Amino acid sequence: MNWRKTGRRISVYLAGAIQALFLFMIFRENTHSNWISVTVILVSVLLFIAHLKLPLHHDDHLYEHILVAVWIPIGATTGYYINNDLHLGPVMAAGIVGTAGSFLPVLYKRSAYLKQLPPAIYCGAFIGMSSLKVANGFLFVFAASFFAGVLLVSSKSLFHGMGGKLGLIAFTGVVLTSFFLFVLSAYVH
Amino acid sequence: MFIDTCILLATGAIAAIATFFVSERLAQGPVRSSAGLSLLVAAFFYFFPHSLGPFLTKNIPVVFIGASFVGMVSARLSSSYLRLATAGVLFCLIYLNTSSFFNGYGGALGTTASISLLAVLSLPVLNIKGRLTNGFRQLRKAIYGRRQR
Repeated sequence: MNWRKTGRRISVYLAGAIQALFLFMIFRENTHSNWISVTVILVSVLLFIAHLKLPLHHDDHLYEHILVAVWIPIGATTGYYINNDLHLGPVMAAGIVGTAGSFLPVLYKRSAYLKQLPPAIYCGAFIGMSSLKVANGFLFVFAASFFAGVLLVSSKSLFHGMGGKLGLIAFTGVVLTSFFLFVLSAYVH
Repeated sequence: MFIDTCILLATGAIAAIATFFVSERLAQGPVRSSAGLSLLVAAFFYFFPHSLGPFLTKNIPVVFIGASFVGMVSARLSSSYLRLATAGVLFCLIYLNTSSFFNGYGGALGTTASISLLAVLSLPVLNIKGRLTNGFRQLRKAIYGRRQR
């Protein structure tokens, strides 16, 4: 069994499934509006074509270094603290964390490692944008960061240069954590 | 309300274009471009909350940061400002009608941005000759063939 190929397929299918779920929920809540329903169907078809036809993935399957992914929880907890504890709001939180993270490579310009950190930190900041209703504590943030970290590591050569990739990874992490918490709470009760 | 919606749609288009410009043309990189510009907009509405109405004050920063994710696209995939502006507008349309089920989920804006960007990027694929064409060619042949007869 080719684990790299399997991991690659799982990541791509998971991203597609999350996008499909997102569109389905919009469709489900707006069945009363014809133009929204038609737009969602049209966007779904275009999205399907994009996944099939666009050169989104590199042929070589590469992994992000795990020492890069460890910056996701750092970005997430900082963003979450600014958003929910300092009450500056999600946009300010992501903006502050992302901007600060983007200047890390300036500290030592010859470091290849520092150059890879801003996307991981910004991805973490998106998890920190979650509201208290969804993420009720730092434990949730760490769990979502773990899932997002696994996805970031395995998707280095996938969706290369696609805007929204980091948000999609963060969202998948948050959705998976919410799902597992829901299953866990149902099992416990 | 119509004017407010138009302002948000314009915000989406401007955010996507501005982010791409700062990222690619000014070579600041996608993260600094998106986060920095979004921080400027969010800080403005944080310190001057009454400069516009409550609807716009609440939504402009959110639409801006969301559409800025569209502008984080690499020039390899798209360097057309028109396409980016369209994706920014589509982002805003989806955001305005988004599902309440995912309210408060971190990364939802990024997911919306990825959907709108991919949908817009797939449009030229439809126009390229020789792709998706077998069915269309045969259909066209059948239609024109019948007309010629």
